[in-house]
Amino acid sequence: MAEVHVIGQIMGATGFSESSLFCKWGVHTGAAWKLLSGVREGQTQVDTPQVGDMAYWSHPIDLHFATKGLQGWPRLHLQVWSQDSFGRCQLAGYGFCHVPSSPGTHQLDCPTWRPLGSWREQLARAFVGGGPQLLHGDAVYSGADRYRLHTAAGGTVHLELGLLLRHFDRYGVEC
Amino acid sequence: MAAAGPSVFLLMVNGQVESAQFPEYDELYCKYCFVYGQDWAPTAGLEEGISQITSKSQDVRQALVWNFPIDVTFKSTNPYGWPQIVLSVYGPDVFGNDVVRGYGAVHVPFSPGRHKRTIPMFVPESTSKLQRLTSWFMGRRPEYTDPKVVAQGEGREVTRVRSQGFVTLLFNVVTKDMRKLGYDTGPPDTQRASGPSPPQGLPR
Repeated sequence: MAEVHVIGQIMGATGFSESSLFCKWGVHTGAAWKLLSGVREGQTQVDTPQVGDMAYWSHPIDLHFATKGLQGWPRLHLQVWSQDSFGRCQLAGYGFCHVPSSPGTHQLDCPTWRPLGSWREQLARAFVGGGPQLLHGDAVYSGADRYRLHTAAGGTVHLELGLLLRHFDRYGVEC
Repeated sequence: MAAAGPSVFLLMVNGQVESAQFPEYDELYCKYCFVYGQDWAPTAGLEEGISQITSKSQDVRQALVWNFPIDVTFKSTNPYGWPQIVLSVYGPDVFGNDVVRGYGAVHVPFSPGRHKRTIPMFVPESTSKLQRLTSWFMGRRPEYTDPKVVAQGEGREVTRVRSQGFVTLLFNVVTKDMRKLGYDTGPPDTQRASGPSPPQGLPR
């Protein structure tokens, strides 16, 4: 079986209006993929930047997959949340990106979006906080049912992911 | 009859902890150590080190330079648990106590060649304003009991941190027998500066 190692970091995020951000991340794969080592999901620390506006997490990712097919290439899905001084958490954005498919080190910029509600909900979010969230997290990385959503842009999450492939040339796969 | 192939590959890393950018702090020294998985073992070189104390230069660059060498070789059977270098930077506070100024970690690059990495440094934050005041007064800031926590993902979701500086590292990476074992590490990307760029106004 071919093996894929994803080794890298979720470096941080820019462009969000709130500071004190953290990120919940997870990796979704198809049925042909099996996770041999590593944690499939996690949550980063909460960072308040003192220098500049980029929140830095430096959260390590180390995953080892074995695969029998190319379908269902791993996708990393992210939820960025902000935490205020009272400890309340508010959604700042959802985003996803595919794990790169060519070996080597890659810099990724993942754009994020957040659901807008009705004008009442938007007003409430501006004053009191809160705001609509997705019930089922899989809308972040799948295209089905997206047409129901009306969203606004959030900031960008920056990742540096390195990819190490094993035995792909044995099966004739070019990448 | 085919000869038995290698079962172990080697990773040799040398380089330096080059310099730091901490706009608010001076007279800093750094400690580095390597964190790696269970399948890895160091075979040569030093896994840990403490640098000299450096002060900001008098010119407009305000540079903090360590130029501190790193030289280590690992052997492994599995890329899972690829080594990370964990840096901790310390400096004196107003009363002369040694306090932590930043922690940071980055994976050692895996494509052979020369790599430059600039990593952000962050410190844990006090829980409340009162605790922030007493820790400033007593000289005992919040710090990690084991800096290796910075290289792991688990348990970080309850920590609040403040990022307040950058450290630049240079790596030269050589691997042995990775290709024979079937691993493809991609094109060598030499001399590529990577990592977050410091915001405007700070020297690169």
